[in-house]
Amino acid sequence: MTQNGPLVLCIDDELVGLKVRKILLERVGYHVITAMDGASGISLFEKEPVDAVVLDYSMPGMHGGEVAVRLRRLKPHIPILLLSAYVGLPQDVTSLVDLYMTKGEGAPVLLEKLGRLLQQPVATP
Amino acid sequence: MNLSEFNRVLRQVFLLPVIALLITAGALYLQVRGSNDTVRLIQNTDATIAQAALVGKLIADQESGLRGYQATHDDRFLSEFHQVEGSIQSELENLDLAIQADEDQRGNIEDLRNEYQNWHDAFALPIMATVRAGGTANDVTLNLYGKTLMDQVRQDVAAITRRAEKVRSARIEQWQHQVHNMIEALIAIALGMGVLIGLFTRSRLKSVSSAYRSSLEVLSRRAEELYQSEQKLRTTLVSIGDGVITCDADGRIQLMNPVACELTGWGQIEASYRMLEDVFRIVNQKTGEPVETPVAKVKRLRTVVGVGYDTALIRKDGSRILIADSGAPIRDQTDAIVGIVLVFRDITLERRTQETLLSNEKLAVAGRLAATIAHEIHNPLDAVSNLLYLMRTGATEEESKQFIEMAESELARVTQISRAMLGLYRESRAPVPVDLKEILEDILLLMEHRFHELNVSIETDLPSSVKVKAFPAELRQVFTNLVSNAAEASSPGGKIRIGAHTQIANGSANSGAVVFIQDNGAGIAEEARTQLFRPFFTTKGEQGTGLGLWVSRGIISKHGGSIEISSETDPAAHGTIVTVFLPEQPVIGTVSLPAPN
Repeated sequence: MTQNGPLVLCIDDELVGLKVRKILLERVGYHVITAMDGASGISLFEKEPVDAVVLDYSMPGMHGGEVAVRLRRLKPHIPILLLSAYVGLPQDVTSLVDLYMTKGEGAPVLLEKLGRLLQQPVATP
Repeated sequence: MNLSEFNRVLRQVFLLPVIALLITAGALYLQVRGSNDTVRLIQNTDATIAQAALVGKLIADQESGLRGYQATHDDRFLSEFHQVEGSIQSELENLDLAIQADEDQRGNIEDLRNEYQNWHDAFALPIMATVRAGGTANDVTLNLYGKTLMDQVRQDVAAITRRAEKVRSARIEQWQHQVHNMIEALIAIALGMGVLIGLFTRSRLKSVSSAYRSSLEVLSRRAEELYQSEQKLRTTLVSIGDGVITCDADGRIQLMNPVACELTGWGQIEASYRMLEDVFRIVNQKTGEPVETPVAKVKRLRTVVGVGYDTALIRKDGSRILIADSGAPIRDQTDAIVGIVLVFRDITLERRTQETLLSNEKLAVAGRLAATIAHEIHNPLDAVSNLLYLMRTGATEEESKQFIEMAESELARVTQISRAMLGLYRESRAPVPVDLKEILEDILLLMEHRFHELNVSIETDLPSSVKVKAFPAELRQVFTNLVSNAAEASSPGGKIRIGAHTQIANGSANSGAVVFIQDNGAGIAEEARTQLFRPFFTTKGEQGTGLGLWVSRGIISKHGGSIEISSETDPAAHGTIVTVFLPEQPVIGTVSLPAPN
């Protein structure tokens, strides 16, 4: 685990899911910061030198689509991976983000997609 | 002309001839009495003539007796003479009485009396004295003298008789005159009265006949109006889309419209005068028990009646159709029931549509929950699959233990969710004991994510179990509807309070449970409030089916409970409270769905 790996911001209102995702990503060498809702995620994104965002779609208050719009406005070049428990998100939401995937597709898919986004070889444990 | 006027005319026409005849009879009586007097006078005159003849005869008898004595000197010839002497005065008196008022006759009588006395005293007595003395009385002069005296007497009698006869013929003439007058008067009265009666009767009958004519006109106009109105009613009856049967007060069928014939399978003619229950056989669809006929019910309750929810009509061919119907009494002017009219229609299709709507709404509720359910299942699944990946790719024992615990708790969540979801569909056939606290908590769990999304907070007031007998899946549907309404109404940032408690009352019907769901949304506009329970009424535009509250009320009614909504749109204190009451035991058999009005 390296402290110099890419900094990934995970935003999800599901505490357990978020915790597990953090462990998973940290294990493959990412540096991970987390936020439980859109607003605090945006402020972290603003402050920290985030390299990629793993964003949950369905959240109270502001949903993933809205959060993505704000993030894009702040730092348009930072890749965003949108996660969703639903299948078939609206077109205007999916077009905002770089990639999207359905929750439950499994850890390898997530790691592969995130790796692809960051265009660097993914360390395999 | 009314009846009393007609009666008056009848009285007049009856009385007038009677009065006329009475008057005629009176006049006739007077006339007859007049002629009776005349006849009596004639009879008096006849008596006078007879009396005069008697006096003449007596005097003649005396004279002939005297002559016999004069010739024979035999005293026996004088017996008649003396006999007459004894009575002549009284007979003269009688004659005098008979002529009475006649002055002329009085003179004649006086003359007769004198002349007779003269003959008697101056001739008869001296002759007798002479003969008795033995002398002769053949002296011519003397006898001529006697003859002269007797001729005088005879003349007097004849004068009296003549006079009496004259009076008599005058009186007969008078009587004839009277009779003549009487006949003329009779004819005149009869003619007058006849004309009078005729004219009067004619005028009266004329008014009666004109009244009769106008009555006839009115009657024929009424008959025409009646015919037209009957035609209108008949056409209405034939064109109407519902079945209509009319019966007399005994329940015998008088009329069936074509729809009624089609629905019952009986023809109008074959059904006529049959008892209603032979043609209109209705049973409870579920139990098969016969249902009281509307005729009996109308007669019992004397008002408009409907039939129960699950009434089926057994058609002539034995097939069954579900019907909705109502019966109403037909009353006469005295308010007595003279017939019953029955209106009914086939609601089989309607009921099927209603059932389809109900299952649609059930699906819509599930659809509304689908996103939540997917989310609730995918999130734990995601966590579990990540945990498994971590464990597979190498984890310390301590880590593994922690991961397994986390995975177990996530799986427990999935199980709980899937159980709550199944509860929406698994329905028992009879009411079972349910805990409303459990049901509400299940629903809140299922909807947790939806609340997150809508950014509403939930506060519960579920201190302990609240038990009633009910159909749990249906109640889940109701409360899911009500809670999601509250969440949608108060989003975003709203607050929902949900509570349930047991209500204990004296009557078992009032004992049960009260559930309330309160939100602090904008409230329901007043004009919308009255329509909340109508099918297809929605305030959610494309998002709503407009069936939620309608179905909810149907379900609560089926349980014998009630649902009330109070809402406030005042900016200072806005929000809506839905209160549901459920009895301890559902009253089965009541109408489960209100008819869409």
